[in-house]
Amino acid sequence: MEFFEGYIYPLVLGFSALLALTGIVTLLWIRAHRVLTWVVTAAYVVTLIEVLAIINALLGGGIPLVITIGYLLAAIALMPLLGIGRLGEPDAAAEDPDPNRPVLAPDQIARVDGAVAIIVAIAMSVVAWRVFEIFQGVQ
Amino acid sequence: MNAIVRITLVALYAILGLAAAGRSVVQITTKFSEAPLAYSISLLSAVLYAVIAVAIWRGRDKLALWGTAVELTGVIVVGTLGYVESSWWPDETVWTGFGSAYGWVPLVLPIAALVLLVMGRRKAATGPSDPAPASAAREN
Repeated sequence: MEFFEGYIYPLVLGFSALLALTGIVTLLWIRAHRVLTWVVTAAYVVTLIEVLAIINALLGGGIPLVITIGYLLAAIALMPLLGIGRLGEPDAAAEDPDPNRPVLAPDQIARVDGAVAIIVAIAMSVVAWRVFEIFQGVQ
Repeated sequence: MNAIVRITLVALYAILGLAAAGRSVVQITTKFSEAPLAYSISLLSAVLYAVIAVAIWRGRDKLALWGTAVELTGVIVVGTLGYVESSWWPDETVWTGFGSAYGWVPLVLPIAALVLLVMGRRKAATGPSDPAPASAAREN
């Protein structure tokens, strides 16, 4: 728990700020999408570290199980939303028989990814904060 | 509706649905008898968010319109009742305090979605103003 509170929580908050900032920059300047893809990859790594830290704390015992596992799953479930813009790529849309499926131009994919990065960054920080609150309540 | 706005709305509803589903599942599985009405409403909101997300993604604008209208009504009714009849709510729902626990996103989101969906329907009814929209749905 101390490891999560001392290192992982600040890491996730700091990284969420970076992700949100990169998302904003991508919305304003499309070329930053390349940087956003690197930050998104880093988000997977940060979430993996966070998940391992939570599992480690869970194995230590004394933590409310259901709610902590719920937030653990939420942290994982947020990841597929990052880079959701790829669903609008022509190749992806071509495989879907739905005629309403949107097909996005490269600049639009960048904007969608930027907007979603901001949303996911907020959600990531909220999940980490809630886990932090649970751990604080246990001590 | 603009494709960027559409997918962003889908992501917002997906995250809100995830949050509401998580909250309601924990509440219902651990302490349902304490506040059955509040926890059932949390579950209802989770289902509603999922339906709206899928409806917007699939271009089912009519279903999305109905869903967001029900959602907005729910937020306003539950939010108001929370203050008027506080004894009915032993615990909070997603819509308590007009969604204040979620940064008022549950209140703002259906309003924004309704405005965008109505604008999109009006635009579709009057015909496309942009001669070559890059974000248009796939031509079949």
